[in-house]
Amino acid sequence: MNYNELTRRYFESAANAGELTGPGVFRGAAGNRAQGTWVQFDLQIKAGMVSAAKFLAFACPHTIAVAAWLAEQAVRGHLVPQLPESVHMLRDRFAVPVEKMGRLLIIEDAWLAAVIPAIDYRQSTHIVR
Amino acid sequence: MSAVRAPVYLDHAATTPVDVRVAARMAEVLSSETEYGNPASSSHGYGDVAGTLVESARTQVAAAVGAGAAEVIFTSGATEANNLAMFGISQYYRERGRHIVTARTEHKAVLDPCRELERRGWEVSYLVPDKEGLLDPSQVAAALRPDTVLVSLMHVNNEIGVVQNIGAIGAICARHGGAWLHVDAAQSVGKCPVHFASLGADLMSLSAHKVYGPKGVGALVISQQGDSGGRGRVQLTAMQFGGGQERGLRAGTLATHQVVGMGLAFEIAAKISSVETARVAHLQQRLWQGLEALGGVLRNGSATRSVPHLLNVSFEGVEGESLIASIRPHLAVSTGSACTSALAEPSYVLRALGRSERLSESSLRFGLGRTTSEADIDVAIATLTREVGRLRKVAGATPVA
Repeated sequence: MNYNELTRRYFESAANAGELTGPGVFRGAAGNRAQGTWVQFDLQIKAGMVSAAKFLAFACPHTIAVAAWLAEQAVRGHLVPQLPESVHMLRDRFAVPVEKMGRLLIIEDAWLAAVIPAIDYRQSTHIVR
Repeated sequence: MSAVRAPVYLDHAATTPVDVRVAARMAEVLSSETEYGNPASSSHGYGDVAGTLVESARTQVAAAVGAGAAEVIFTSGATEANNLAMFGISQYYRERGRHIVTARTEHKAVLDPCRELERRGWEVSYLVPDKEGLLDPSQVAAALRPDTVLVSLMHVNNEIGVVQNIGAIGAICARHGGAWLHVDAAQSVGKCPVHFASLGADLMSLSAHKVYGPKGVGALVISQQGDSGGRGRVQLTAMQFGGGQERGLRAGTLATHQVVGMGLAFEIAAKISSVETARVAHLQQRLWQGLEALGGVLRNGSATRSVPHLLNVSFEGVEGESLIASIRPHLAVSTGSACTSALAEPSYVLRALGRSERLSESSLRFGLGRTTSEADIDVAIATLTREVGRLRKVAGATPVA
């Protein structure tokens, strides 16, 4: 299996691997280790923006690289109910083989599982105020 | 400019570097002004010289495996030898029976011919080894039928290194009276004692490039002995035609330099001392202890009935493709999956032993050889300690110790 330079760099560094705890942290996960791919995102939200992001992944190099890149890109971004880039754009950026498209969808599911509760929480607290 | 260190080669079960003595002798044959004749040409001295070289190599190969020179048929490798044995026996004895016995953990060079024979109407029984990869000879006895014409089992497994009890299986086949025993011994020579006559095999496949010889040459050993069961000598139908070479069983001009290389490689392998075997066993033990210390590392195959040159382990808590990508710059090893596409297939050998799909994918086969040093083993341990630890951290995984 060959990987492009970006994939290799983010796979090897996996700089944002880990977990976040504390107030304002929202966690989302998808996939299944027994099935070969599992991804988790922790997003810390302050004032409607992502202040910190971490990921964990039991997955192939493409999946780890994309998750690491998303965690990096998310910081200082606004909360929106979608990936910072579409699955197809991520596929092109990281040269993900078409056979692995399902793994990008697992990443998207994990991302949305963290983001949507954060958005819901923000909206509910906004209404209360 | 800094030198980039080449990955440590620990894949000697896939192939071995050609011994420098073998390469030198082959080069001599290739560049000689007297040794380039066609070994089948008997009408002039050039052919006689080449023919003598081939027969000398045949004697060397035979001597290394306890066979007679007349029993050795040169082929392009063990795969061709397996094909010749399996199709040759099946075709010759097709009126007597169309049942074959083999094991799920055989090499593809046996399993794929079995699949093809099934397609052509033969029945194949696939024996399942125990969790250590070993067959009980009684399994073979139970699988034999009146119409069984062939039992094909490997001596040393190419993925996990376990040594099957071929002697006992050979005795069972001989008692059966109708089933010929073919043994794929491509991984055996130079790693454990191989004595064709004592094993009770009727046919045995050999490869040169697993034994520090050249690629592209191997042999099928075919017993010339009749057995006490009244079967007479084993007979094969030829699979290729066009010159009658190799007793009419393998037509085609022999590549003298390849054959000479195989002969010398086998002669050298036969002289491997117990000191060298002990050295490799020490390295394997050092590697296993270093990896075991990581926790969550499982050994695949019997530790006691195996050759010391192979170690196959599964790593818990790491994904297979990531493991391979992580170590690739540092180590040249084989994986527990066949990467025939973007999505790897887990090893069918490890799956047959009961390993899960995930553990099969996150397994590595270390093939130790003559060039392997303690420093190489220490690089392997350090690399895997670092990378397995990193991947487990990324996965948030806690392996079961």
